[in-house]
Amino acid sequence: MKPFSYQRPGSLAQTFDLLSEYGSSARILAGGTDLIVGLRQQTVDASVLVDIKGIGEFLPGVALVDGHFVIGATTDISRICEYEKFRATFPALVEAMETVGSVQIRNRATLVGNVCNASPAADTVPPLAIYGAMVNVGGRDGTRLVPVQEFIQGPRQTALRPGEFVLSIQLPVPNAPLGVGFARLTRRRGVDLATVNLSCSIDSVGTVRFAFGAVGPRLVLGVDRSGVLADSGAPAGDRDAALANLIAGTSPRTDIRGTRDYRSAMLLVLGRRILAEAASRLGSGQP
Amino acid sequence: MTASQIGSSTRRFGGYERVTGSQEFVADLRLDGMLFVKLVSIDCARARIVSVDTSAARGLAGVVAVVTSDDLPQPVPRFGPVYKDRPILAVGETKYHGEPVAAVVAESKDVAEVAASLVAIQFEELPAVFTVASALDPLSPLVQEPGLRSAGTLANTNVLSEQVFGWGDLAATEADLVIENDYCFPMVTHFAIEPHGCMVVSSSGGFEVWSPVQHPYLLQAILADLFDLPLTRVRVVAPDPGGAFGGKQNPKFEPLLCFLARMTKRPVRLILTLEESFQATRRTSAEIHIRSGFSRDGLLCFQDIESNFLLGAYADIAGRVVSKSNYLGCGPYCTPVARIRARALLSHTTPSCAFRGFGTPQVAWALESQMDAAARHLGIDGLQIRLMNLAAKGDDVVPGDVPADGEWAQSVRKAASAVGWGEPLAPNHGRGIAVGIKSGATTGLSYSTIRLLFDGSVTIYAGTSDMGQGARTIFAQIVSDELGVPIDQIDVVMGDTSVVPFDLQTSASRSTVFMGNAILDACRDIQLQVRELAAELHGTALENVRIEAGGVFISDMKVSIPEVVQASLGRLRGELIGNGTMRRTDIANHPLGGSPAFFEFNCTAFEVSVDVETGEVSVIKHVSVGDTGKSLNPLQVEMQDEGAAIMGLGHTMMEHIILDESGRIANHGALDYRIPTSKDLPLSLSTYSIENADGPGPYGSKGVSEGAILCTAPAFASAVTEATGVVIRDLPLTPERVWRAMRDGASDSSKVE
Amino acid sequence: MTDALPVVLNINGLKYEFEVLPYRSLLDVLRDELGLTGTKECCAVGECGACTVHFDGRSINACLMLAIEADGGSVTTIEGIAAPGEMTRVQDAFLEHGAVQCGFCIPGMVMSAEYLLARNPHPTEQETREGLSGNLCRCGGYNRMLKAISSVSEESTP
Repeated sequence: MKPFSYQRPGSLAQTFDLLSEYGSSARILAGGTDLIVGLRQQTVDASVLVDIKGIGEFLPGVALVDGHFVIGATTDISRICEYEKFRATFPALVEAMETVGSVQIRNRATLVGNVCNASPAADTVPPLAIYGAMVNVGGRDGTRLVPVQEFIQGPRQTALRPGEFVLSIQLPVPNAPLGVGFARLTRRRGVDLATVNLSCSIDSVGTVRFAFGAVGPRLVLGVDRSGVLADSGAPAGDRDAALANLIAGTSPRTDIRGTRDYRSAMLLVLGRRILAEAASRLGSGQP
Repeated sequence: MTASQIGSSTRRFGGYERVTGSQEFVADLRLDGMLFVKLVSIDCARARIVSVDTSAARGLAGVVAVVTSDDLPQPVPRFGPVYKDRPILAVGETKYHGEPVAAVVAESKDVAEVAASLVAIQFEELPAVFTVASALDPLSPLVQEPGLRSAGTLANTNVLSEQVFGWGDLAATEADLVIENDYCFPMVTHFAIEPHGCMVVSSSGGFEVWSPVQHPYLLQAILADLFDLPLTRVRVVAPDPGGAFGGKQNPKFEPLLCFLARMTKRPVRLILTLEESFQATRRTSAEIHIRSGFSRDGLLCFQDIESNFLLGAYADIAGRVVSKSNYLGCGPYCTPVARIRARALLSHTTPSCAFRGFGTPQVAWALESQMDAAARHLGIDGLQIRLMNLAAKGDDVVPGDVPADGEWAQSVRKAASAVGWGEPLAPNHGRGIAVGIKSGATTGLSYSTIRLLFDGSVTIYAGTSDMGQGARTIFAQIVSDELGVPIDQIDVVMGDTSVVPFDLQTSASRSTVFMGNAILDACRDIQLQVRELAAELHGTALENVRIEAGGVFISDMKVSIPEVVQASLGRLRGELIGNGTMRRTDIANHPLGGSPAFFEFNCTAFEVSVDVETGEVSVIKHVSVGDTGKSLNPLQVEMQDEGAAIMGLGHTMMEHIILDESGRIANHGALDYRIPTSKDLPLSLSTYSIENADGPGPYGSKGVSEGAILCTAPAFASAVTEATGVVIRDLPLTPERVWRAMRDGASDSSKVE
Repeated sequence: MTDALPVVLNINGLKYEFEVLPYRSLLDVLRDELGLTGTKECCAVGECGACTVHFDGRSINACLMLAIEADGGSVTTIEGIAAPGEMTRVQDAFLEHGAVQCGFCIPGMVMSAEYLLARNPHPTEQETREGLSGNLCRCGGYNRMLKAISSVSEESTP
């Protein structure tokens, strides 16, 4: 790796000082599982890494605050998956998190990092968006909440402004019955980057929301309020048409993981499957 | 006396070191004053090197040297196991993506890496050859300068070699059914978990080289030739490879490191990254056009095969891959008439070399898929068509050459029963079965020396590389039985050309047969010495002394070998030294230079289920049966067989190198080149051995380490066809490819006459 | 280049104090500076698992962690998983069941297997496959590894 220096601030204030001092040549280091790869492959340039794992204000693990689960920027994915209440509340997100890398990766990688990496193929992003996750961005002048789908603006591009970094992700506990599904397609069963990934929810009034990943420069969202997708008894042709209507908003490309037409076709196939999963979860009272 | 080791699953020699991390691989070794080498290459395959500016790199603190081809002897020396075509560093032009243009030598790995990024190379990308079609196009650029090629009509083409094998009169042969198809087998990479690497010390006019090379004596010979040194001045120490699979057979960067060690007068070390290992070597890809003729009963009438194998920019051993695999292009069948035209084509891609199976998986992909196509057209079961055409023991597979050396139908029946052939199938499930044979080593020479020490313990010297197949264990088992030595009192010394006698190579599943026989021969030498000593000791004739099960019988009296040795050698102690040889020499005018010492036969069968909406295939059952002759260590045979099977699943389901328009590897490295993981393992994987003690190795053994990779792909594809009705002729069968075939309704599109 | 920084690390029960350049990975330091070469390097991007060690009791890829990040923590490498000259039950079972071929992936594989069994002494086959899926074995020893881990699991009291 090209040489860089290292800072481990003890507080948020020190972190903001470092970010303003070093500007764009500083990179935030939490889990490092994407950052170190980028540095080694020279797709990321940094003259200083700011390791935020020493910041006193961050709480370890996951906290339930005012009807929101708060996941700090240094909480790794394995830890999150250990919280039974979290697992029960966000099963589709947990499924997605458990496909991120391997055990070793999840023991280091943070959920916040997976979002900040801003990969179009990030598996956690579709279900995060479906569950209404907000990204809590901190700056010297305070914090702001940005919906996850707005936070990620394109490949490797986020809504972070100079001097800011992400403090946490907030996930609202659904206040009405909600069924959510998640699926991804990969080239092998073992650890792999997704060819496509998607998540959907069905609520009690029949609104269906979809989020599609790896099929555009940023997450593609779609809403169906017709009730057709929520109605498992509706004619298959009508349901497929409604789903195809949502998929029409995607713009998959051909790359080494898959072609455009395969990706498009799989959105329909997997879309049907996660609709069924979401409906079943809604029916069972599980989110 | 000890219980017989042969046929028992003795624990792997070197196993403790491997599970505790104390096994030293080449990257684990350190030399005092060692310098670190980093290779510098450019970002496309073929380019004219306009200029190389090394000044910034040289200026970096800690950089000792930055070397280009200008700093080497002129003309720049070239080397290779068959053709001397590969330059030490690129001269004037790069021929493949990753070919080193310069080498940085520095005090640390980090400095070498940074300095390498500071070497500024101006280059002009040139038109290049990346495909079979382009290699065959007379208008394409030549990969190698004609002056480097051996004289002949091919020197002005990209055809390295072209061979025609065959028998019978094709033109006069009729068939009820003729099936004609094209098959593709892509480039794949070895992906040994241990990346390639080596270390060199230049001393006293020669070199000491540490390299996990499969053929240390070949490396020694090539270096001695390059530097005009006697063999004694080149010592090759070969630490056990951390996986090789054919990729570590021949020298790659050892010659460069010798120059760098000589220039810097310091020990130098190069450990490649995994990405650089991808660029160092690969499997030969192939496009095979095949016409197969059958009678309406399903009997083979003829095979007419045209194989085009795409090699890389330098020949390495790939010409031999093409000839040896195509020689048995008709497989383990009785084929009345055959014509096989096999071309080895040069291209501006990674130099290809040996890879487990040595070309046979490519050939078997086409051949066995044809058998299934014929079976479908004739309404014959895939198992039946194979059984009816399979060579029985003693039948010719290549007329005039050694006949079938095993009861192969036993393996096929075993595989069929293990996979549940003929039993009802759930929807979207299918079964497939296929067979393959690979020629074992043809010629070869292995020596072994065995020292029976005074206390009865034994040191075996064998030049084999123990790269995962467990050769040490097998050798010790043989000696334990032959000399009555407990297994834990045996040492096996390998991997040092200054200590261990010559062995031609570790390849072609040869070691159990070749080195095993040399060791058996050395044991016989010691046994004779022991009998002579015992006869003298007991005042009897030699013929009254015999050795059985490692014990010495003098008429009715039984003593142990150490008792004889100790009583005879007496106060001055000493030891017995036995020497053994296994030699198979050239056969004049044989297309391969010699007949196969044995055939490695395998039958593989699958049951799969296919997700017909996504194209994902689940392997329900994967069965492999090998004709091992005698499994000297059943557990090790199973390990090898399972390993070859899983590697076969890799090229069948997911592996392929993807090149971009500049000849760069697009899926370069572990993130996008997929190999099987524990989650990709079949739900059930089982392997079996057929043992009829009919091999040429010790106790009737044959080589076993490649069988299960030979016909994985056609067996798998056949199962997918049964499950889905679609036929696919390009590997790998990725979910997308299977989905696309189903979407397009790609039922059997064979051209049928 | 950048200055070295002080690090205190507990490795295999021993306290190490040394200085490290901030861009050196934990893997580099273990192998190149401390001579603990049992931990292997292959892909350097966290895919192959050859460099798996336990950091503060959790399995990680040592290639993706900076040595400086590990300051104050404790690391267990393959050299520290069993007492010198001894083997853990996992190591023994790997040999007994023929899971070891070339051996290059094995230290990392053992560390993953130990971590799996420490957290889940009786894993299902699915869980074992998941637990090992971050470790590549090109010799294809997975089937034997599953058998080895299953045998260790059966030995321990539920």
